[in-house]
Formats: sequence, structure tokens, C-alpha cells
Amino acid sequence: MTTLTDTVPANTALIDEARPADLPRQVLVENDRDFDWITNKICGIVEAKTPTWWWIAFTLSAFVSLFTVFGIIYLVSTGVGVWGLADPVNWGWAIVNFVFWIGIGHAGTLISAILCLLRQKWRTSINRAAEAMTVFAVVCAGIFPLIHVGRMWFAWWLFPIPNSNAIWPNFRSPLLWDVFAVSTYGTVSFLFWYVGMIPDLATIRDRAKTKIRKIAYGIFAMGWRGSNRHWRNYEMTYLLLAGLSTPLVLSVHTVVSFDFAVSLIPGWHTTIFPPYFVAGAIFSGFGMVLTLMLPLRAIYGLHDLITQYHIDCMCKILLATGTMVGYAYMMEFFIAWYGANDFEAFAFVNRAFGPYAWSYWIMISCNVIAPQFFWFKKIRQNPMIVWIVCIFVNIGMWFERFVITVTSLSRDFLPSSWGYYSPTIVDVFTYVGTFGIFMFLFLLFLRFLPLMPMGEIKAVMPQADPHHGKNHH
Amino acid sequence: MSDTPVKPLSAESTAAAGSLAGGQSEAIGLERIAHICLVVGGLGLAFTLFGLIFGDEYRVGLGALIGATFWFAIAMGMLFLVMLSHLFDAGWSIIIRRHLEHGISVFPWLAAIFFFLFFFSMVYGEGGIIWKWMSESSESIVAGEVSTVGDDLLWHVKQPYLDNFWFIFRNILYFAIFISLAWALRRNSFQQDTDGDPKHSLSSRKWSAYGVIAGALAGSFAALDWMMTLDFHWFSTIYGVWFFATSVRGALAITVLIMLFMVRKGVLAGIFKQAHLHDLGKLTLAFTMFWAYISFSQFFLIYNANIPEVGNWYVMREGLNWQAVGFALLFGYFLFPFLMLLMYRTKINPGLMTFFAIWILCFMLLDIYFNILPSKMDDLGESMYAFIPSFWDLTALVGVGGICAWSYLRSFAAVKPIPVRDPRILESLHHHE
Amino acid sequence: MSASSENNGQIFALIAEFETPGAIMSAAEKVRDAGFKNWDVITPFPVHGMDQAMGLSRSKIPIVAFCGGLTGFTLGMSMVYYMNKVDYPLVVGGMPYFSPVFPFPVAYELTILFAAIGSIISMFLFNSLPMHHHPTLNYEQIEKASNDRYFIVIESTDPQFDETKTPNLLKDIGGNNIGKLED
Repeated sequence: MTTLTDTVPANTALIDEARPADLPRQVLVENDRDFDWITNKICGIVEAKTPTWWWIAFTLSAFVSLFTVFGIIYLVSTGVGVWGLADPVNWGWAIVNFVFWIGIGHAGTLISAILCLLRQKWRTSINRAAEAMTVFAVVCAGIFPLIHVGRMWFAWWLFPIPNSNAIWPNFRSPLLWDVFAVSTYGTVSFLFWYVGMIPDLATIRDRAKTKIRKIAYGIFAMGWRGSNRHWRNYEMTYLLLAGLSTPLVLSVHTVVSFDFAVSLIPGWHTTIFPPYFVAGAIFSGFGMVLTLMLPLRAIYGLHDLITQYHIDCMCKILLATGTMVGYAYMMEFFIAWYGANDFEAFAFVNRAFGPYAWSYWIMISCNVIAPQFFWFKKIRQNPMIVWIVCIFVNIGMWFERFVITVTSLSRDFLPSSWGYYSPTIVDVFTYVGTFGIFMFLFLLFLRFLPLMPMGEIKAVMPQADPHHGKNHH
Repeated sequence: MSDTPVKPLSAESTAAAGSLAGGQSEAIGLERIAHICLVVGGLGLAFTLFGLIFGDEYRVGLGALIGATFWFAIAMGMLFLVMLSHLFDAGWSIIIRRHLEHGISVFPWLAAIFFFLFFFSMVYGEGGIIWKWMSESSESIVAGEVSTVGDDLLWHVKQPYLDNFWFIFRNILYFAIFISLAWALRRNSFQQDTDGDPKHSLSSRKWSAYGVIAGALAGSFAALDWMMTLDFHWFSTIYGVWFFATSVRGALAITVLIMLFMVRKGVLAGIFKQAHLHDLGKLTLAFTMFWAYISFSQFFLIYNANIPEVGNWYVMREGLNWQAVGFALLFGYFLFPFLMLLMYRTKINPGLMTFFAIWILCFMLLDIYFNILPSKMDDLGESMYAFIPSFWDLTALVGVGGICAWSYLRSFAAVKPIPVRDPRILESLHHHE
Repeated sequence: MSASSENNGQIFALIAEFETPGAIMSAAEKVRDAGFKNWDVITPFPVHGMDQAMGLSRSKIPIVAFCGGLTGFTLGMSMVYYMNKVDYPLVVGGMPYFSPVFPFPVAYELTILFAAIGSIISMFLFNSLPMHHHPTLNYEQIEKASNDRYFIVIESTDPQFDETKTPNLLKDIGGNNIGKLED
């Protein structure tokens, strides 16, 4: 094999000239904490007595999640009329909520996978919580198509399992691609999350004081003992999962965008949909990550681990993805005119100035304008304002899906069949309930599982470098 | 190949004999190569001009556009790589970035070539040589009948955009953006070599933040203007993203070639190491996938929807020998490099990486051919030209390429081969796997 | 020398503690150079460069992942071919019964799914996990190994293992608290 320095001597004169200008990198763990502090801090969260606020929040979210349960029971026992769906809008809140929740999940995979590949070390403080968020968001997302298939007890017909009707699914349908994409996404995200947690579960197991804890964490830690022969395979698997999750996360929202884009509805059939949906998903997911992490940072006093630098980075990603979404809105609008198709042009004018103009402008202000505040350092340094902007991002991204789904359907080719869609109270409660489910699961995660990957945080700290403190090349 | 771990190639592991200080390009004969490039470039452009006047101006015009777009795409991809490396505050790529900074010195020369093509297409003969909509009297196929652009309803609807004056104005804007971004990023970096002030890095970061937005808009609309409007009936919202994807692939391929060349010449020996090559390989793989993703999305949505107004673009690319080109792109531009670059051993092997860099550049050129050449219609609304590279394509490609290489080498001779005072330079020098 | 557990079983290995990643790294290099085969390094996080210090080769998992991916893609395509073209041909939207274009998303997702599951399963297999009864886990100081200390374990099955020389070696390379692990 040829190597790079086989033949030519090294240009050492040039190397010796290198004298870096002084611009130190931001530290990832502040106040010079050591490894022991990190272990105690993170394990302390699951080892301490259950805080009162947790019980209050847990009860509240359990109560709110009942909204979805009763919403579905009412829907199934009474009939689809309890929803606001009516011709011509047969895709309403259910699809909007599905796409919204799936999109939320994407930031988790992005942080764990893409940032891992890009060697963005700051990801380590937030990736675990973000991955948990992904898994729970997929759970919430999955509820809606399940209801939408009608008789949900036959939902297994979507899978290519031989059934008594002796027919197979139609693989030309984007909705079937969704089945594969979302179930793969759920599975791989869960496995990625779990594999990442194994070493930390082992830490909790080793520290466990009671027999029950030792056994419970022991089982899930799989007998992990920190062997370097294991780390070698483990790191490779982790890297591979990161490498696989990256095209996966792109493909999932791409397939979701296909649900719309392979149809001929004006405003839906446009080739930029795949990357545009992916950018939007990452945008909304980061909004949700910050929405969750900023309060957690305050409650658990994690300021040394989630530093201002972390918040800065996430704000910048929000700014970047929000602007990409803005690019897509602009390009869609331009091509709708340039394409010289009357229906297409109408669909976009109708979005901006028709009966749903209010939702369109909510979308534009929350998604394109709100993140522009992050150009200013002062704003990025104020967690309260950052949190508020993120709430706007969450709202805006829900409205984006609403705008896409509803405006195009409500006024398509034939003016005589135009309509105006409004949700019913059942729609609203079913949706609100999913936030309860999401928080319910997330609170359980906080209570029982390691909130941050201790091993990974330690590995990116300067002390972890074997050459630390030595003058080395 | 054995299983033994590949030893990292460190600077001190090789003997430090005959080292080269920065900026000594004459010592390794680059000065001479630069002169040759300038002469070859000038000759190529002169030949192309000759072809435009005495050959089939339509075909030679498209060939010139292909050559110019190819090099422009590479320069634009390099500019994006520079800006992204500033935005990510990347450490490992600092030694590579300097060479990208030389690469982006070409925009003023490219601007001159492009504006020549624009004016040529507008005023030569009846006009509308390259872009038929530039002249109302050009032939256009309306509803299957031969007609003129002036009688084409779609042209009338799009006329506010497809307007000669406005087109020139937009292009001035695009090049103003690219030239000023390249100027600012180069100035900051070169200035830092002498004074070692970290403020230059911060300034570059700011320029990059605004620059990616401005550059993304300029690059997308340039792609729409130069290639999509060749067949102005057709439209695709993802087109700008496709151009970005193929540009970055080209830029990465050229970068691999430059870096390995510089190692062989001794300039970057012991500096550009296996870890850098591995990372460049990973980026090449990533953008191979990204290109496939974007191109597939466009094809897939148009295939599935099956509407004549957009489907026709692909139908035209099934005629003559274009279908074979399409398959060549699928297998040659995506599948083969993708499968090979998945392997760790490909990415760390200088010989194989050289091969794949050249391979990707060839197919990137084919991709540009595929997007430009079939758009010229005959009287039946089918592609007029098959994929047969002509002599004039070659002169344009070599002509523009010679100018670009000359511009690169001229810039190379003026400053050090690595940014010695960059705040992250040691990270880059110590980069290992 | 402190015995870590009661002397009622066979010696499985000797264990020594190290304070910093730098110390364990140079110690591992020495154990490697001394020619030991059945030994291990226990760290709370993957120490960068330790694979080389231990003389380990690159992990083989990518090969399994690649085969998994290939299986997934083939399975996806052939499944659609069989179901929509052979077993139950169905005309939808004027599209052909089979074309590699429309089943692509399905085949693609299966590629990822199989590659991911393949790499995870092979990780567990290659590591012989889950294994809850490993002697190292009975070590009373194991808590430190997942917190901030680093250990070298030299197993008694190693041909070079010697009950008197090996502890000295561990001491020479800077190990503290040298103890015995028992089966």
C-alpha cells in the first residue's frame, strides 16, 4: 500500500513556523470539574430521593395523557364525525400532528448521529436527552396514523404479513413507505439510545446500594465492565449506528414529505420537499431540545455541563435551519410563479392571502423571523429569551404542517368543492394529550435513566487525553 | 492487507531532510507550470472563440457553457467548504483550507468568461444562441408545434424573469457576491499569516455566516439561470440544491488531488497526513450520498407524479444516447464510488483516492453535460445533440481550467502553503485518527 | 499486596489500578511489549489510542453491518417483486408491476434496519455480552472502574502468567493496589 510519506521528506521547516494565534476553544465542562464530579452529578439525579416537583409534573402529565386516551375511545365508539374532517379536507390535525411529532424526533438523531460524525464535541451533554426525546416523539407520532387507518385493530395489514385476504400491500403507496420508514426509525433510534446507555447503566449498577437496583440496572447493563476489548467493538458500533442513522433520519422525513409530494395537489407536488422537510424537522427538533433542556439545566443545576457555549451552538443551528426553511418557502413561491401553472400559483397566493393567511403568517414569523434574533449574542446569552423563541419555533413548525396540509386541500382545482376546515374539541384534546404522553415518558426517563452520557462527556474532556499535560506532537 | 493497525504518519516519523519553506513555488517548478497553464488557458479560450464563430455556434456555445460551469461549480464548492470550515470552527481542515482559499481566487476570471457567453448569446447572429429565450425570434416548441419564443405563452408569463437586462443584472449580483466573499476570506486568512491576530478568524466567521446565505441564494439562482432556463418550460424547486451538491463533490475531488500533489512535491509532506486524507474521504462519501439523495428526490418525485410539464425534462433525457448517460451517472457517479468509499482502506489509500477523485471529476462533468446539453431541442421537441464530446468542448474545458489553474498557482506563490498563524493550526498539524 | 477477596477459589487474574489515562496508556504499551495475550484494560470511557497501545486490530463489525445492509436491500427489492409482480400483480396509477424506482424507499429502510441490527448483534456477540458472571464484576473496587480509575487485568490463563513475576511487572509499570481476581 502506498502511504503519504513514503518518498518525500517531511516539510519540517514549515511545521516549525506554525505559531497559532490566540483564540482558545470553549471548554465543554466548566469550572474544571473532574470525572468523579460528573459521575456523582449525573448518577445523583437517579439516586436521589424523588423530588416533589417530579411527582407533581408526573401526575399532571399522566392526567393530560388521558385526553388522548379518551379522545380515541370517544372517536372509535362514536364515529369519525367527531373529528373536524370533512370534504375536501380529509387530512387534518391527525396528519399535522403526526408530521409535527416525527419532526421533533429528528433533532435527537441529528445530535447523536450527524454531530457525532462531524466531531462536534459539544453534542455529548445533550445527546442522551435528545435521543430519549426522539424515541418518545416517535411514540406520539405513531398514534395518529394508527387512528387514521380507521379500524386500528387491522393496522397490521400494513405490514407484508400473509393474511386471510391473500393480498399484499401496495408498495407504490407512499403511506406504505411511511410504515417502513417510521418503524425502522423507531427501532433504530431506540437501539441507538439503548446502546449508548449501556456503559452508564453499568456505572449506576456499580454504585447501586440496594439489591433491587443492582439487579435491575445490572440486567440492562448487560454485564458491561468497561473492557477495552469491548470498547473497541462498542465504539465501532456506535460510529456505524451514527453513520446509519444519518441517512435514516434524512430518509424518514423524506418519505414523510413523499406522502405529500408524490401527489398532484397544488402546493404539494414540488421537488424541494424532501430536503425542505428534513431541514424543518431538524429545526423543530432543536426547538424542542432547547425547550426541554433549559428548564432541566436550571432544575438540576447543570450549568457546568450545559454551558453557554452549548446554548450558543444550538441557537446557531436553529438560525441555520430556520433560514434553510425560509429558503425553501422562497424557492417554492418563486417556482410556483415561474412554473406558470395557474393552480400552483393560486395555491401559494391562497396560502399567503387566502382564508388561512393567519396560519401562513404565524408560520413565517415563527419559523423564519423568530430565529433571526439569534444573530445577536446578547439574545443567545439570555436563556429566558432563548426559551421563548424556541416555543415560537415549536408553534411555527406545527403551523407549517397545518399550512401545507390544510390550505392545499381546502381549495384545490374545483372552486365548487372548496371548503374551510376547523378542528373539533376532540381533535384538540387528542392532540394536547400527546404532550402529556410525551412528558410522562420523559419524566420516567429523567427519574430512572442517566440523563447524560457520562462516558462520552468524560472522553471529550481534556483530562481524557492520554497526552494531557505533556508536551506532545 | 493485514489486520495490523495502520501506523499514524506523524511529522517526526520521517527524516527532516531538505525541508521547504513556504512560498517557494519556483523551487519546485510551479512558476513554470503556472506560465504553461496561462498559455494553455488562453489558447483554449481562443480556440473556443474560433469555434463559436466558425463552427456550429449553438453546439459550441453549449460546450463553452459546460466547461465554464464545470469550473465555476468547483470554485463555488470550494468557497462553501471554506465558509463551512469557518462556521464549524473546524480544526483538522486548516491546512487544507489554505488551498481552497487559492482555489476561490478564480471568480473574477470566471465572471469575465461568463459575461462573454451571456453577451455572445444575446447579440451574435439572431441572438438566443445558448439561452433561446434571449431572443424572441428563436425557435421554441409550443404544444408540439414549431413556433418562436415570442409566440410562446409560457415565455410571456415568465418574461419578467427571463429578461435580458434583468438577467445581466442578476449575474452581476451573483458574481459580486462570490468575488467579495472570496476576497474577504482570502484577505483575512493571508493577513493573519503576517500579524497573527485572532480578529481575522472572527471576521471570517462573520463573513461566512452571511456568506452561506448570500452564496446559497446566488448559487441557486445561478443554477436556475444558466441551466434550468435552457429549457425554460421546465422547473424544479430542488435544482439549486442539486447544483450545490454536485459542486461540493467536484471541489472535494479537486482538493484531494491538490493535497496529494502538494505532498508529492514536498510542500505538504508530513503535514497532510493519513488522518486528513481519511477525513476528506469521509466528506467525499457524505457528499456522494447527498448528491444521490438530491438527484434521486428530483427524479423520483417527477417520475411518480408523471405530469407532462415537468416530466418532459426526463423524457428528453431518455432520447438519443442520454439514457445511457443517466445510467452511467447512477452507477458511475453514485454507486461505484459510494460502495468503494464505504471502505476504510479506500479512504486512506492515496492511490485509490487519486483514482476516485479523477473518477468523480469525470462523472461530475458528465452530470453537467446531462443537465445542459440535452436541453437544446430539435423541431420535434426532442434533444438535438447526443452525448458526443466535441473538440470545442475540450478547448473550453481546458481553456477555463487553464485560467483557473493559473489563478490558483499565482495565489499559491504569494503566501505560505499553510496558514501558520491560524488559531487552530496546531490541531490540524496534530490531527490523527 | 492486598487480596481483593477470600482465598477460596482459583486465581482468575491479577488486577492493578492506575490514576490517569496517560499512565494506563504507557502501562498497556509495556504489557503489550512484554508479550501478554490474555489481558485487558478496564476504563470508564474509551481512551483514545488505547487499541494501538494494546495492539488490537480494527474492529470487524463494519463487515457484518455491510452484509446486513446488503441483505436488507435484496430482501426489500425481492419482497416487492414477489408480492406486487409475481404473487398478486396489481395495476396502480399506470405504473409497471415492478420497477426498481418505487420500492426504493422500502428497500432503503430495510437496508438501514438490517445493517443497524447486524452491527448491534455482532457487537454483543464479539464482546460475549451479556455476561453477568465475569470475575471482574466481583472486584470490590469495580465502582472505580466506571468512574475515574483505570485498571489492567492480566489473566492467569496467559502463557506468560507467573504468580510472582507478573505482580512485579504490574508494580514496575506503575500499578497500585495490585490484587487478585478469583473465579
